[in-house]
Amino acid sequence: MTATIDTDAPETRAPSATLAVLKRAGVVGALVAAAIAVALIQSGSGIVVWQSVVTGLLTGGLYGLIAMGLTLIFGVLDIVNFAHGALLAVAMFLSFGVVQATGLHPYLTMLVTVPALFLVGVLVHRGLLSGSGGATLENQLLITLGLSLLLENGLLLFFGAEPKNVGLPGETHLDVFGAVVAGSRLYAFAGAVALGLVLYWMLQHTRLGTAIRAVASNGPGAELVGINVRRIHTLTFAIGAACAGAAAALAVPLLSVTPTLGEQFNITAFVVVVLGGMGNVVGALVGGLLIGLVEQLTTIYLDGQSSLLGVFVVFVLVLFLRPQGLFGRRT
Amino acid sequence: MIVRRLIAVLGAGSLLAVAGCGGSAPSGAAGDAAGSGDGPVRIGALHPVSGSMAVDGLQMRRGAQLAVEQINESGGIASLGGREVRLATADTQGKPEIGQSEAQRLISGGAVGLIGTYQSSVSSNVAVVAERNEVPFVMDVTASDEIFQHGYRYSFRVQPGSAKISESAAEYLEQVSQQAGKPAERVAVLHEQTDFGTGAADAFEEAAGKLGMEVGPRISYDATTAADFTSQITQVKASGADVLVVAGYYGDSLLIAKAVDAVEPDLDAVWGVSNGAYDQPKFVSDAGELGDRYFSTNYHFDAQNPETRRLRAEYRQRFGAPMRTGAVLSYDAVQAIAAGVEEAGSTDPAAVRDGIARARIDPLTVGNGPVRFGRDGENVNSAAVLMQIQNGRVKQVYPPEKAESDPDYSVAW
Repeated sequence: MTATIDTDAPETRAPSATLAVLKRAGVVGALVAAAIAVALIQSGSGIVVWQSVVTGLLTGGLYGLIAMGLTLIFGVLDIVNFAHGALLAVAMFLSFGVVQATGLHPYLTMLVTVPALFLVGVLVHRGLLSGSGGATLENQLLITLGLSLLLENGLLLFFGAEPKNVGLPGETHLDVFGAVVAGSRLYAFAGAVALGLVLYWMLQHTRLGTAIRAVASNGPGAELVGINVRRIHTLTFAIGAACAGAAAALAVPLLSVTPTLGEQFNITAFVVVVLGGMGNVVGALVGGLLIGLVEQLTTIYLDGQSSLLGVFVVFVLVLFLRPQGLFGRRT
Repeated sequence: MIVRRLIAVLGAGSLLAVAGCGGSAPSGAAGDAAGSGDGPVRIGALHPVSGSMAVDGLQMRRGAQLAVEQINESGGIASLGGREVRLATADTQGKPEIGQSEAQRLISGGAVGLIGTYQSSVSSNVAVVAERNEVPFVMDVTASDEIFQHGYRYSFRVQPGSAKISESAAEYLEQVSQQAGKPAERVAVLHEQTDFGTGAADAFEEAAGKLGMEVGPRISYDATTAADFTSQITQVKASGADVLVVAGYYGDSLLIAKAVDAVEPDLDAVWGVSNGAYDQPKFVSDAGELGDRYFSTNYHFDAQNPETRRLRAEYRQRFGAPMRTGAVLSYDAVQAIAAGVEEAGSTDPAAVRDGIARARIDPLTVGNGPVRFGRDGENVNSAAVLMQIQNGRVKQVYPPEKAESDPDYSVAW
């Protein structure tokens, strides 16, 4: 029943919509190609540009990975989750702790971090956000911001500010047509793509995913056909948090683990979410890749000056030209 | 619509964050100038003990605390009849505006002098507050030289300035590379993009240019967001440079070392300048073998001084971590203010300022003699030393009179 109601409208528009997305993807692709060509002229060294492109894509995969949970929560619940970075930090420390205590492979800590963050997500949503306290936008903002401060300072209290490092056992460097790629970055990238696909499949082809999409597009309508909207909200928030858990396990060998590491990604993740279209999981992945590329290419254009400059130029341009995001069709 | 909402929320969020932080600083000059009464002499310590710089901030606060304890154990301030010294601490959170309001608070609370702040941007603001209130401010760690170009009377600094370290780095590089028979000709510079890294890179480029070395490429980066340096190191490799100079903080310098290990550029040496990692024992344990033979020119605790060894042993025993150079500098800075009070025989901040200007303090950090402040407030006898990671230990290797062992001008890969 729910499935038919939700899929009716998009299906009738599907061919033209798909075409429009393809067209936009083509425009973005052409712009990226032009940007790379300019970088090539600017630096005069093929290998430097190639390395930048590879590094940019791999770093972008990491951004996409982190932004996926955020975009899901934003798209369905309309909650700007300022605590996402802090949840990532919590998951990182969890992963670090498990590696320290049991000597488990960092990637296997996902078995712990994903369920743990899922549970945290349930608790946060049920305990803090779904009640009347979390009804207005201002309150949601204050709650998530407050939660992030609480989590960060809690981590600081328990673990101290000393950066922790987790090595990847058997870390190697691969040669990709002259560019050097650390194995850990490649695996994180592959993980990001896999997670994106799993989420996409879940949203498109499962009963739960269909319900989530129904709630996202029309809450009261979904309620009328018998969907428990509050439960879907909680589940979505928990899945979003669990994504941070998965991202943490994949990224833990790449980063120094500190209580404040979430700050480093919060801004970038929000930019990625807007760029990819809010609520669009695949858009978040593509947006992440774009932002990664833009960062690296800015470094070449401006001899290293703030890579965030380029990111925000792109951000402002997208907001101006296409405020709903590059792939702004709600999931 | 949603985007507008998001922007509104983001904007509100950042406003809120700023307002929230501002609100934490108590306002007003309600303090009863406790320093001028009969109570202990208050010395204010401003360090970032929360936020991303908290490890160093905490180290430095403890270093200052150890200095205060040492002063009190040896009888307090003799010229004031043995009055005790007390440390009044404040957390700058690594933010200039917080540092500013906290400095005001400490002064209102009767501090006769301030020390701090680990970050140049914070020190710039605190120096203004100190100047306006006519309270001496002795900087422990503050790399930027710009603060000393305003003719401030109340600002002093124990550590060598950014320019001095960078000049020494260029000089040491020329001498060490020549002694090794591989004179450095082309030097690539990788630096973080705030005052600290840019200032160090500018000064190095000028000094190296005068010594006949060519500097290029010069690449800057944002230390707060950088997550991978493979591209930058590839650029260095493609340029054919002999030496890579790195002026950065801890996390970014560690990532750079990992990228160097991955790309393996044809370098003769990696040369830290005012670098936050390459002379830290933690870097040795985090980086392992890939950090072997890295050089670093920096201020440093005097490993040859028995007093320094005693202090570091005590620190280690009490706090369970090796004491860093920043903490030793905080120790020296507190000693400088105490010596100023001793010299002045008064807790009037203006008199203490003149006392500090006249004082001579034996430092526990490497220097060319006792700490003595020139007219500009800089420590005349401050000096930088070259260190190298050898067999998993950070060793002073140059100049020869400070060396624990000989420099090994080569790379590990």
